[in-house]
Amino acid sequence: MAEQPVDVEPEGVNVAGEAPIEEPEAVTDDTTVYDDDVELERTIGLVGGLAIGIGTMIGAGIFVFPGLAANNAGLAATLSFAIGGIVALLVALPTSELATAMPRSGGGYYFISRGMGTAYGAIVGLGLWLGLMFAAAFYLVGLGHYASAVFAELGVALPFSPVIGIGLLFGAALTALSIAGTENTAKIQNVVVGILLVVLTGFLSYGVLDAVGVFGGGTVPEQFFSRGYFPVLTTAALVFTSYLGFAQVATVAGEIKQPGRNLPLAMVGSVLIVTVFYVVTIFVATSAFGADRLGQFGETAMVEVARDFLGLPGAVAILGAGLLATFSSANASILSASRAVYALSRDALLPRKASEVNLRYGTPHVALLAAGGPILALVATGQVELLAEVASFLHLIMYGLMCIALIVLRRRNPEWYSPSYRVPGYPVVPAVGALASFGLIAFMQPASIGIGIVVMIVSYLWYRYYAGDVTLKGDI
Amino acid sequence: MTDRPSILIPIRVLEGESVPEGVPDLLAHAHVVLLGYHVIPEQTAPGQAQMQFEERATNRLDEYEKIFEEAGATVERRLVFTHDGQKTIDRTIHEHDCMAVLVPNATGVVEDVLVAVRGTVGVDRLARVVAGVFGAMGASITLYHVAENDETDEDIGTLLDGMVDRLGDLGIDASTIETRVERAQDPLDAITDAAEAFDVVVMGETDPSLATFVFGMPADQVADRFLGPVLVVQREPTPNEETD
Repeated sequence: MAEQPVDVEPEGVNVAGEAPIEEPEAVTDDTTVYDDDVELERTIGLVGGLAIGIGTMIGAGIFVFPGLAANNAGLAATLSFAIGGIVALLVALPTSELATAMPRSGGGYYFISRGMGTAYGAIVGLGLWLGLMFAAAFYLVGLGHYASAVFAELGVALPFSPVIGIGLLFGAALTALSIAGTENTAKIQNVVVGILLVVLTGFLSYGVLDAVGVFGGGTVPEQFFSRGYFPVLTTAALVFTSYLGFAQVATVAGEIKQPGRNLPLAMVGSVLIVTVFYVVTIFVATSAFGADRLGQFGETAMVEVARDFLGLPGAVAILGAGLLATFSSANASILSASRAVYALSRDALLPRKASEVNLRYGTPHVALLAAGGPILALVATGQVELLAEVASFLHLIMYGLMCIALIVLRRRNPEWYSPSYRVPGYPVVPAVGALASFGLIAFMQPASIGIGIVVMIVSYLWYRYYAGDVTLKGDI
Repeated sequence: MTDRPSILIPIRVLEGESVPEGVPDLLAHAHVVLLGYHVIPEQTAPGQAQMQFEERATNRLDEYEKIFEEAGATVERRLVFTHDGQKTIDRTIHEHDCMAVLVPNATGVVEDVLVAVRGTVGVDRLARVVAGVFGAMGASITLYHVAENDETDEDIGTLLDGMVDRLGDLGIDASTIETRVERAQDPLDAITDAAEAFDVVVMGETDPSLATFVFGMPADQVADRFLGPVLVVQREPTPNEETD
């Protein structure tokens, strides 16, 4: 069952004189085997993988974006979510192939550094780390909106808006919990995702029946492209943040059991599941209120939708679900960011110190702080749309490059490259995936694009300064 | 040499667990599968722990390996970083085809061995472990059976005689074998009470049932109360059972 690992001898040292860690000898269904007799156990099954993917994604698309998206694109926001889902799927398929060929921690960063070289790897890896921070900050601001809505619901009038304060509080708490907590976070994540899917399925089924007039309500269908065609694409770029989770499955690829089977199923499966939920959610939400009114409700629009259908209990259920969902998304992003830091430090692109494990708790405290600290600064800006777009930008660069890396690897076809899952429709699917990823970036706000480009330039300069001598590219 | 039964010794190598006194001599005639493992929280990538702790863990395992080899055992070793210790132990048992797992507790010179015969684990495997580990030691072996209410003396006789014959076939002097039958209500209490007079307990793994999920495996409970080493003989691996 052993698969051949990447044929690469990482070379060179960084400024601090650290060399990349050696590659493993073999990869099996249950372990990653290093020389002699050292093994890393794989412990995450298919359910765990799906929970990571869905848990990261579902927070944003359903609980934060409907109001914003409807405000931008009208009823056609449904189409925006569908476009996002298709782009995500076009990338998830090639990612699955790469992940089964290289089931190692670090995900997209690992594939690109081995397939295209250290410079691309550094830009993507550092970009992934920062991108996850932007994403986590975005989820935390969303969480702040939901927590504020709880106060509003309770009739507690606050003299100030508590959104950012709550976001900061939860951000700090999450970081502290991941450093000191030794509870089974993965099991909790599975349960949370299960509860969310049940609540949402119930709520959306009711909503769909209502929208088609079963309960006598029915709504007058409004014009689909009420804001024109162009906003459909800009909205797709904005809401793409709701599809970032599947690549997080790849960041823990080194810990997934039977990677050849479970990685593609978890990645493609989670994209398909959340796409269906998103599209139905937007459809239900817009048919309940119409895009205009929905837009006025902003981040917590779904609470109003639920109240409209089911009264106070509905509102409470969605409030609770929204808190859970944004919390789990933020948590998953912080953990992924810390995995990204580990992958970079393993390859000597960041100081080895960065992935040091705390002796008391056994957790990577430096990496978690390196993720949690900057997140707080980002939360403080409170810019939901900007945070979301920058996160999407940095991920989309990685997605596009992953598709290109796949094409490069397939053309050179090195001996070690033997994925157990092969993308259908090669070369069209990865080529369209790359074009779509880069294309979506063009529809973002200039500010987001600017910040994203600055991050990429800084990443590249960091690589030149810190690890210019390190070679990670596989023998292709 | 081919008859050495493989015995797994799981050791949490970085948490101060070590090889207790007497254990190397106990397993002098066995093939020892030394599993050093380190359980890490889910926030940590196993590779991260490896980067930091591999050297220290390897040094310790080197030491333990030497101790076992000096005592006369053949040794195979693994170092595993894992989120789930039980999965690692189960997988290692499976991959290395281990006949038994040792719950390592200190012991002196082994003179009296208690073998709990229950019938759930094949008598054959039980006999092979007992003969392989204790055959050359000259220890006295007591076959112990806690009877259920509906079991006749004849059934018990057949079970224990079969075991004695099997041990005889494997070269154990029948005069060192005793048999004892108890009719108590709770087999666990009975085994634990009887064990006090012995140096080592050999018992079978029990099928997981609801009770074992609540109270843990019977073998673990015995190991917790009996302070000496316990050899837990594993069931025959079923060929089509794919661990998922």
